[in-house]
Amino acid sequence: MALIAALTSSVFLAGCSSQELRGFGFEKGLSSVNDASLGLWQGAWIAAAVVGLITMVLIIWPIAFHRKKNEEFPKQTQYNIPVEVAYTVIPFIIVAVLFAYTARAQNEIKQVTPVSSQSEVVHDITVNGFQWSWQFTYQEAGPGTTVTGTPAKPPTLYMPVGEKVRFKIVASDVVHGFWIPAFMIQIQNIPGVENQIEFTAKKVGTYPGRCNILCGRQHSQMLFNVKVVSVAEYKSYIQSLKTIAEEEVQGANA
Amino acid sequence: MTTYATRPVGGLETVNRAGSLAPTSKGTLIRKLLTTTDHKLIGQMYLVTSFAWFLFAGILALFIRAELTRPGLQFMSVEQYNQVFTMHGTIMLLMFATPLFVGFANVIMPLQIGAADVAFPRMNMLSYWLYFFGSIMATAGFLAPGGAASFGWTAYAPLSSSQYSPGIGSDLWIVGLAVGGLGTILGGVNFITTIFTMRAPGMTMFRMSIFTWNVLLTSILILLAFPPLAAALLALESDRLFGSNIFDPANGGALLWQHIFWFFGHPEVYILALPFFGIASEILPVFSRKPIFGYKGLIAATIAIAALSVAVWAHHMFATGQVLLGFFSFMTFLIGVPTGVKFFNWIGTMWRGSITLETPMLWTIGFLITFLLGGLTGIILASPPLDFAVSASYFVVAHFHYVLFGTVVFTMFAGFYFWWPKFTGRMLNERLGKIHFWTLFIGFHLTFLIQHWLGIKGFPRRYADYLATDGFTLMNMVSTVGAALLALSMIPFAINIWISRKAPLVGVDDPWGYGASLEWATSSPPPRHNFHSMPQIRSERPAFDLHYPHIQTEKMGH
Repeated sequence: MALIAALTSSVFLAGCSSQELRGFGFEKGLSSVNDASLGLWQGAWIAAAVVGLITMVLIIWPIAFHRKKNEEFPKQTQYNIPVEVAYTVIPFIIVAVLFAYTARAQNEIKQVTPVSSQSEVVHDITVNGFQWSWQFTYQEAGPGTTVTGTPAKPPTLYMPVGEKVRFKIVASDVVHGFWIPAFMIQIQNIPGVENQIEFTAKKVGTYPGRCNILCGRQHSQMLFNVKVVSVAEYKSYIQSLKTIAEEEVQGANA
Repeated sequence: MTTYATRPVGGLETVNRAGSLAPTSKGTLIRKLLTTTDHKLIGQMYLVTSFAWFLFAGILALFIRAELTRPGLQFMSVEQYNQVFTMHGTIMLLMFATPLFVGFANVIMPLQIGAADVAFPRMNMLSYWLYFFGSIMATAGFLAPGGAASFGWTAYAPLSSSQYSPGIGSDLWIVGLAVGGLGTILGGVNFITTIFTMRAPGMTMFRMSIFTWNVLLTSILILLAFPPLAAALLALESDRLFGSNIFDPANGGALLWQHIFWFFGHPEVYILALPFFGIASEILPVFSRKPIFGYKGLIAATIAIAALSVAVWAHHMFATGQVLLGFFSFMTFLIGVPTGVKFFNWIGTMWRGSITLETPMLWTIGFLITFLLGGLTGIILASPPLDFAVSASYFVVAHFHYVLFGTVVFTMFAGFYFWWPKFTGRMLNERLGKIHFWTLFIGFHLTFLIQHWLGIKGFPRRYADYLATDGFTLMNMVSTVGAALLALSMIPFAINIWISRKAPLVGVDDPWGYGASLEWATSSPPPRHNFHSMPQIRSERPAFDLHYPHIQTEKMGH
């Protein structure tokens, strides 16, 4: 066991920054979802480690110290009501506390600003999954500006840093999974269903996204990138989409 | 109590019988296998067949690991890769683990309640043959044009429709599973009837062994879970063959499939877990020389798990965005409580015991440690916000291998080593058993511990390939090395079976010396109708009472 632990931990350490280690694999402040979930993730792991360690010691203790020493039978204890009550009630309290934090975090993640609300800037993007790539449609860019990827050339999803994005999640053939691992978020693209999710990217950078629901042959090539850029850059990207669309329309007319 | 000192000297009898066995020709053996209705032989046929499937699906697992060792496609096409992991999952769950339960239950449960056979011996035989041909049919897709089913063992609609998976291999998969599933349903009916109607005089419900209790509850779960699966499979085949639109996404069919499938799929996890928890609960008392701790509480916990297991299915669907997160999350957290209770029952059994570490005990401890880790990651996944972070990734792959491999495979080997003398009259070799255990234990943890981190770092399940820049390579290599070690651990087991065929006959009812349940009060192996005489059953430890009449169990309240 020690050997395995040493081996695996050295592999862990090789591949991550101290930031990630502190977040048990996730980074703080990357997205609004990370802000809602990271504390729960860390807390749940600490609770799991404590419970696991205590249980492990309780398993190994009798194996180490209550070995057979002579032919005499040990006391044939079968019931101990106070102990039995304790080991039923304590786990219940632990999961009740975990559930309370869970409910809080999930309410935060599930928040979607109503379309009618004018008080905040919210960008709308439609994510369509198809065999085997993605289509991103930015509402602000208008019709005809859909960006479509291919298995060989994964598309890039642009997000403005610090501003909310309301995603419409759809699929045109089979079920797909829209997953951005670094942002701690995923949601299924289900044909016939329109899902909604809203979150804010909070740090400029490029993050991998992957389809995580088996969708057929080229499932593992259904990749995309999330490019979080400044609001100004985002605006110019939207503008460039419009320009391309206009040029295409003109080209078609000419 | 000395009333039963007249128990026949089973040992001598066994020796004589085995010694005077006429040499059997292969023809007689085949006839016997084809026509038997003896629960012990049918049970052993189940055990052997399911173990053969375990080896086959294990080889498929090695293909998966070999393919993932490095980025790029090594030796399979993506289509072949999809077939391989689909069949790996399908076989491991439905052709190995489920019938393995039926095998253990068949051989052991009637002995433990003092019955001569199961309630419906001929239906038992029918169940086996439905399983046998159903599983061959589902796997025969590998020989069909277009290959085997490749939509994952979960067969999500509409990927499993004739439009997206047109091959005949998919149809073989669907119908094969429906046929095998019918065998499982009939098995469940048989076990429930047997336990309710065929217990020996004195064997009240609260004197039944934990294993028998768990067989009962598992069988009830089978009746709840397998008919919906059969219905879903037949409806899917009707969509494919007759053009019905039950799972058409336009009618909400994509989500409907996930609901019905997981309404089967989650109880199925407990169908696979409970009987094997039962095996652990049989072995720990014997090698701790104590009764099972908190017997009635343990049964209550099992009932609670069985009841809750039908109310948690949608935790597989958190990421669909279409289920009531709070309800299913809370139910899932709640099911952790009785599972935790079981751990403390097992610890309480060992506590202040007189522990020896024979091979069956070693395997059971391996189960406790492995399943503990799987249970803890299960609690993490029960929380939707955390599930959103790592669901459908290798974190989940690692989690369910810790749960299922930890439970099914570790206690399967525990049960094999423990009951081998009861099956065959001969012990397996202890030294080889221990080598087997340690190779498998280290191999298993080397393979799957690292996969948690692989998932957290963003590697999705069911990917045939990844990029060199993803940073998954080293972790995948470690995992593959572990898988190779895990596979090698089958060698000492094979040698063990081979050499033990000539091991001396144990010649006694209870070679371990401290057996509690009734199978240890009859010869090894038992006679055709199981018992020449029945000891008086006064507690849940009839064999122990028989062999150690002077040892008293501490009564409640002390």
